Amino acid sequence: MIFKLALRNIIGNGWRSLINIGIIAAVLISLIWMEAMWYSWLVLAKTQQKQWEFASGMLRSKNYDPYDTFSWEKSYAPIPAEVLPHVESGDIVPILYAPSVIYPGGRQLSAMVKGIPAGQKVLELPSSGLAPSEDGPIPALIGKNMARTTKLGIGDVFTLRVKDSAGAFNAVDLQITDVMDSPVPSLDIGTVWVDLSALREARLLTDVATVLVLKEKSLQSVSAPQYELITEKEFFADLNEMVMTKAVGQSVLFLLMIFLAMLAIFDTQALAIFKRRKEIGMLSALGMTKGQITRMFTLEGALYMVFAAIASLVLGFPLFWYFATKGFALPGGVDFGVVGFDRPLKFVYPLPLILLTLVLMFILTAFVSWLPVRKIAALKTVDALKGGTNA
Amino acid sequence: METKTVTITKMSKAFPTGEGEFLALKEVTLDFGAGEFAGIVGPSGSGKTTLLNVIGSLDTPSSGEVDVLGYKVSQLSAKQSSELRSHHLGFIFQTYNLLPVYNVYENVEFPLLLLKMDSQKRDRMVKDALEWVGLTDKTKSRPAQLSGGQCQRVAIARAMVKKPSLVLADEPTANLDTENSLHILDTMKNINANLGTSFIFATHDQKVIKYLRRVIRLVDGEVVSDDLQTGA
Repeated sequence: MIFKLALRNIIGNGWRSLINIGIIAAVLISLIWMEAMWYSWLVLAKTQQKQWEFASGMLRSKNYDPYDTFSWEKSYAPIPAEVLPHVESGDIVPILYAPSVIYPGGRQLSAMVKGIPAGQKVLELPSSGLAPSEDGPIPALIGKNMARTTKLGIGDVFTLRVKDSAGAFNAVDLQITDVMDSPVPSLDIGTVWVDLSALREARLLTDVATVLVLKEKSLQSVSAPQYELITEKEFFADLNEMVMTKAVGQSVLFLLMIFLAMLAIFDTQALAIFKRRKEIGMLSALGMTKGQITRMFTLEGALYMVFAAIASLVLGFPLFWYFATKGFALPGGVDFGVVGFDRPLKFVYPLPLILLTLVLMFILTAFVSWLPVRKIAALKTVDALKGGTNA
Repeated sequence: METKTVTITKMSKAFPTGEGEFLALKEVTLDFGAGEFAGIVGPSGSGKTTLLNVIGSLDTPSSGEVDVLGYKVSQLSAKQSSELRSHHLGFIFQTYNLLPVYNVYENVEFPLLLLKMDSQKRDRMVKDALEWVGLTDKTKSRPAQLSGGQCQRVAIARAMVKKPSLVLADEPTANLDTENSLHILDTMKNINANLGTSFIFATHDQKVIKYLRRVIRLVDGEVVSDDLQTGA
């Protein structure tokens, strides 16, 4: 009975109900959209970083500290004998890092040169073109960003200066054989890729690497005392932190939207208590208890949320479908320098998170609806029947 | 011994005002038997509605005793008051007070829903009540689609549907023209005669007063006369 009456009141409220439902539905659509965007971005960023950089795990030389540039020169460690067969079989990809200076078009720029086996198949990095030729410059690969910064293109030749293991500078000529479109900016920005053997030769090193990328998770247990295992959790810690930071920033916007929606509900309920005093008095006179009347009004407010949830799914479906199939592209020229934002982001909808949002919104709506209707308990039936205002 | 529906003993009702309090009812002593068709009449401000509200347990007396169908009004909790009203009392208001979002059938059905009655019995009782007031052809209409007279007939059906022992009617004809007023009064009189339901009116409408079998005059909160009318 209470449900039926609450439902009828919502329908009977006409435009006021539609406006409330519309506001809440708009907030819900925005919330779902935002949640889906962050979630999809995180999923895509992790997928791409795994495909291009991390694979199933990474062993990192203990001499390498990504936050200490002075450590980079000696950031390598010998590849243990136990690991070498896996390197031979292609299941572990050794990568050697070295700080360097490049001279594109007569300019001088700092760059990190990274050596990777040209024939590796573990990462999607297009390294096949890096196989060194008998003579001529060493083939090199750069990303689109690096190409833009250095004004280098395919076929261009430039000089790279790198320190060898003895501390002496060696200069080698490199020729760009490919400009890759990498979704992982850290593989692109300020980085030049060459074949591992070519870099080792330039640095007078043998069988050393800065990182060892593992094809299979089972390889994480391989014995490499001079290397530390970087787990997925550690590897993505920075990304997770960045998402959290951005999400917290966004939550201010979320809270503002939710506040506006709740204000609409509160206002409607407060006004209803004022405008519908006679009805409250009549319901009481007919024998409804104050508790039943309070529950009816609270339910009325909470039902707005139910209708809004349905409306948001129906009205938002074309939008959700569009972003799931066509993707969300940032306006042209915007580059956040983070993974996943360089191409349209196709949305994935995190159902548990969306359900949690709906449940939380329902609880919040019910609470906000209940706040003003508490006054009904203090309302005298005779005053209510007169339409009096002294609740 | 005649069964008493309402027994009021030295009941007073005071309302706080800025300067102290206003005594709306002064030591009223009255009783109403089963099947009464009585009215509390008097000028505006004489305390008619206040007396009706106390009998209907919508308000409590400041002093004295009010016994309604065995319930002592001054000692009732809010829940017990609701129970008395939902089970035993019917109300008819000057402004009908119908639920605008319900149709005629649903408005009449509402008191039975509060009694958690099964749907078959409910349906039969609603149809009976609508027949008493002659509105069987308007079951789907909303209050906004009805005339004032029709709305008041719906209100009567709603008050009568659960066959209460006592119906309290506060100025039921105040918003109606003569024709509709007489129609309403005839309807209530028939129900009173056929079902034995007690009716207590609060009114100053002469048309209503002519119909009453018992007229209690109230002036400044005091009962000044209590007369039976013959030929009503």
